[in-house]
Amino acid sequence: MTKYIIRRMIQAIPVLFGITIVVYGILLAAPGGPTAKFNQNPRITEEIKEKFKKAWGLDQPIPVQYCRWMGFCNPENVGLQVFIGETGWPNFLPTPISGATNGVLHGDFGFSISSGELVNTRIVRAALPTLILAGVALFVWLVVAILMGVYAAIHRYSLFDQAATVFAYVGFAMPTFWLGIMLIFLFSGPGLNILPAGGMTETRLSPPFGSDEYWVYFGQKPLEALSDVGWHLILPVFTLVVVNIAGDSRFVRASMLEALNQDYVRTAKAKGLPGRTVTFKHALRNAMLPVVTNIGLEIPFLFTGAIVTETIFSWPGIGRLTIAATNQFDYPVLMGVLLISATLVVLANLLADVAYAVIDPRIKF
Amino acid sequence: MTETISATPPLGAPPDRDTLLEVRDLRTYFRVLDGTVPAVDGVSFSVGRGKTIGIVGESGSGKSVTALTIMRLLDIPPAEIGAESEVWFDGREILRIPLNVMRKVRGKDMAMIFQEPLTSLNPVFTIGEQIAEQVRLHLKTSGREATDRSIEALRLVGIPSPESRIKQFPHEMSGGMRQRVMIAMALSCEPKLIIADEPTTALDVTIQAQILELLKAIQQRTGSALMLITHDLGVVAEMVDHVVVMYAGQVVEQGTVEEVLLDPRAPYTMGLLESIPSVEKRGGRLSVIKGVVPSPFNLPPACRFEPRCPYAWDLCHEEAPPLSRVGSADRLARCHLHTSAGDSRRGAALQQHIDAMRVGGTIRDAPA
Amino acid sequence: MTDSRKPQGAVASDLVRRAEEAGQDYEVGLESLSQMQLAWRKFKGHRLALLGLTILGILIGVAVLGPLLLPYNFATIPLPDKIVYEGRPPSAEHFFGETGGLQRDVFRLVVNGARTSLFIGFSSMFIGVVIGTIVGSIAGFVGGFVDNFLMRIVDVMLSLPVLFVILVASRFFGNGNVILIVVIFGLFSWMGISRLVRSQFLSIREREFVEAARAVGVTDRRIIFRHILPNAFSPIVVSSSLIVAGNIIGEAFVSFLGFGVNPTTPTWGNILSNALTFIPLGNWWWPLFPGMAIILTVLAVNFIGDGLRDAFDPRSRA
Repeated sequence: MTKYIIRRMIQAIPVLFGITIVVYGILLAAPGGPTAKFNQNPRITEEIKEKFKKAWGLDQPIPVQYCRWMGFCNPENVGLQVFIGETGWPNFLPTPISGATNGVLHGDFGFSISSGELVNTRIVRAALPTLILAGVALFVWLVVAILMGVYAAIHRYSLFDQAATVFAYVGFAMPTFWLGIMLIFLFSGPGLNILPAGGMTETRLSPPFGSDEYWVYFGQKPLEALSDVGWHLILPVFTLVVVNIAGDSRFVRASMLEALNQDYVRTAKAKGLPGRTVTFKHALRNAMLPVVTNIGLEIPFLFTGAIVTETIFSWPGIGRLTIAATNQFDYPVLMGVLLISATLVVLANLLADVAYAVIDPRIKF
Repeated sequence: MTETISATPPLGAPPDRDTLLEVRDLRTYFRVLDGTVPAVDGVSFSVGRGKTIGIVGESGSGKSVTALTIMRLLDIPPAEIGAESEVWFDGREILRIPLNVMRKVRGKDMAMIFQEPLTSLNPVFTIGEQIAEQVRLHLKTSGREATDRSIEALRLVGIPSPESRIKQFPHEMSGGMRQRVMIAMALSCEPKLIIADEPTTALDVTIQAQILELLKAIQQRTGSALMLITHDLGVVAEMVDHVVVMYAGQVVEQGTVEEVLLDPRAPYTMGLLESIPSVEKRGGRLSVIKGVVPSPFNLPPACRFEPRCPYAWDLCHEEAPPLSRVGSADRLARCHLHTSAGDSRRGAALQQHIDAMRVGGTIRDAPA
Repeated sequence: MTDSRKPQGAVASDLVRRAEEAGQDYEVGLESLSQMQLAWRKFKGHRLALLGLTILGILIGVAVLGPLLLPYNFATIPLPDKIVYEGRPPSAEHFFGETGGLQRDVFRLVVNGARTSLFIGFSSMFIGVVIGTIVGSIAGFVGGFVDNFLMRIVDVMLSLPVLFVILVASRFFGNGNVILIVVIFGLFSWMGISRLVRSQFLSIREREFVEAARAVGVTDRRIIFRHILPNAFSPIVVSSSLIVAGNIIGEAFVSFLGFGVNPTTPTWGNILSNALTFIPLGNWWWPLFPGMAIILTVLAVNFIGDGLRDAFDPRSRA
């Protein structure tokens, strides 16, 4: 098992490596290069400028720039010594060993061009709202898709099943952002106006989410704070999950129907097991095997979906950060976000494989 | 000598105490787009306590559907059971009891062994769990006791070191071992009736004999009744007391194993026996029944075996033969040869069969 | 009613397969033609697919003829006498309503948007299919290191959040130009196709009839174009339908964010983008109709894709 996981991780390394090259390529190919917007920003001090140029090694040949950005090379050294970190160990090794702190490998994505902050600071700040949104959406998505799929499979050709089929076709064809707009029109427009149209908190009641004041407020009134966020989550979560539920409920249904037709289900019935046990133990456990893999492969789309949803509902997460960074040509932030999300995709694929191997006893390591 | 069976026992009257299972006029239909298709069409037979019965027929003859109907394992719809049908098991009629009551019978008093031991076991649970689950349910035992009982059942079916085997998954075992697990599962709650649906068809020939011997030994040891469904008359000869031969959803002959195998009366049974290779028939060409089992969508108008029957005459195309008594009370055959209309032809037909069994070389063709 | 037709098709295509496996000498072009005919016959029995084809046909008709009948040019269309902030709901004259601000007819916008949206969806798919086929063919035919290298590139591309990269690329390089947007979408649509084509190469390369063709001196080029690619045709077509649907939604989203096609060109995404500001006014007709147009198009394409999958699947009966 451990061996299998290690093997899969080693297989992922070239892919991750390729991702860094593509991401760096976007930076190089971008119009005006990385300093295009740099000089116009009044918030960038001389000190930060120097740091930026040094960190990025903009005077160096491209391979050296990439090497430094990645953290393979030590910008302090020259010649073959570039690969050696402060402590004399190779520079790419973790900070405690090599003493190196530069480059992606050491978690250093540089400075944001638009705000001058560390890219890490901006990404970490935006990560929590996205994780809340994506986490709640994932939960709703899985529960609803599985329940819908299983129920439709058990009551095949029923009214519910037919309605679910129509929902699946339409939901799958529906652009997420359009659904978001229409929901805002419906629930936050002048007609009903019962749900918040955007944001994460009620600005009149609480400080902006994530600020120090917010956490003080949260400490004082945790229930109010939670229900406020929950209230703001309803529309974005609904928007985010519809496409996934549409696709996956069909997938679960097909998988469940196949399981229900298997001989071992008949055996389970012949043993006298109650219908519940037959369906939810014997059939469902088998039906979930392909579903787990499928869901693992789809989790990355949650993040893509989050970009869309966050834009429409002004949710202060990674998606909004991305759009803002794209708009402002903020390369370091974009590269950081791209790299992290691509790594998450690779990790999710790996997790899906491992999860499949864990739950299917027939898989040998 | 011949006498038409006039009526099944009066509806609703329970059979006597010695009869474990009595099937009366069982009719199972499948609803399809164009209407209903009869899969089992008026089948009646009974099994005494601790007795063995063989249901014989080609695939498509309705023998598996009969078993599934008795176990009430068919989905209704698309399946439909005739209103006049009755199945009496252990003193009560089980086609009409609620499904949740029937579930207490299934697996406990009446257990079933299926044809495909690989696909009939759930791949994601250990075999120990799959047996213990049934024991816990029916015998209301603790987990520990259920495990012990599972181990005991596995030991009974001759699986070596059952203590470690219960932790294995089905895919880690051979086909023969899996079928032993299925048998262990079936007998784990000491059922009164074991229904075995082609239990050896999917297995290697060498394993087949072992499994059959095991089934017989267990049946004798536990005193369960056994209903063995097979297409193999050789298996029947070794295993059972009583035989029911089915063709196209109907019983065409029944009697004790000696009567049916040594003195068959239905042309279909005769044909089946003639097509078995044997030492006596060496040298000649083996006889086969020409044609195939008719599709239930398109049954012959009268006698269902008539298009394939070497003895058929006009009447067989016009009037369906009844199940007639050809000896003791439960010695029956469905053929016009055994009605008064067939009096003149009976002797010759039986003689032709005896000749065919003695010397090879007869290729049966319908008279032009 | 169609049931009697389908098993025949399955039986016949099974015969074709068996003939192929028997290594019989026959013209591959003819074989793929008869397979095409069988697929078409099955496709015609698929009611939803026919519905999809009809809808798509109408939409293409609208995209081609609509702008001629109801021209829209941002620069030359006259401004209204009085600019009102709020739009007007559907009426007999403007049955999709009018936008706020410039008082544009929503119907006219949607009709003109069809041309750009469908053009982007289909031509980017075409670019993706061409690139995917070339990459897949090279990987499958050359094999070895080249195959390994190309497939790792595919892995990398599939790991990137594609919509995300397209967004960035459109903003950086797109300049609101329709052709550039098409190229960008095309460049990120080929990965699935290349895997399909490659797997066809791997499975067919070793089959007897290719061996036989090679033995009698048929050139590699002929083997690829006459024997292998026709076999890859059906999975490519099915997968293309998904690409079209995905890219139409993708383009609408990128334009909606203002990174796509020039905002003065009506695309469905641009119309929605403009409508967003008017949410507080409750001008529901403004985003409703372009959204319905997207859903209708994607539904039609998905229906056709379903029909094609069933038509090409020799096992499908029901």
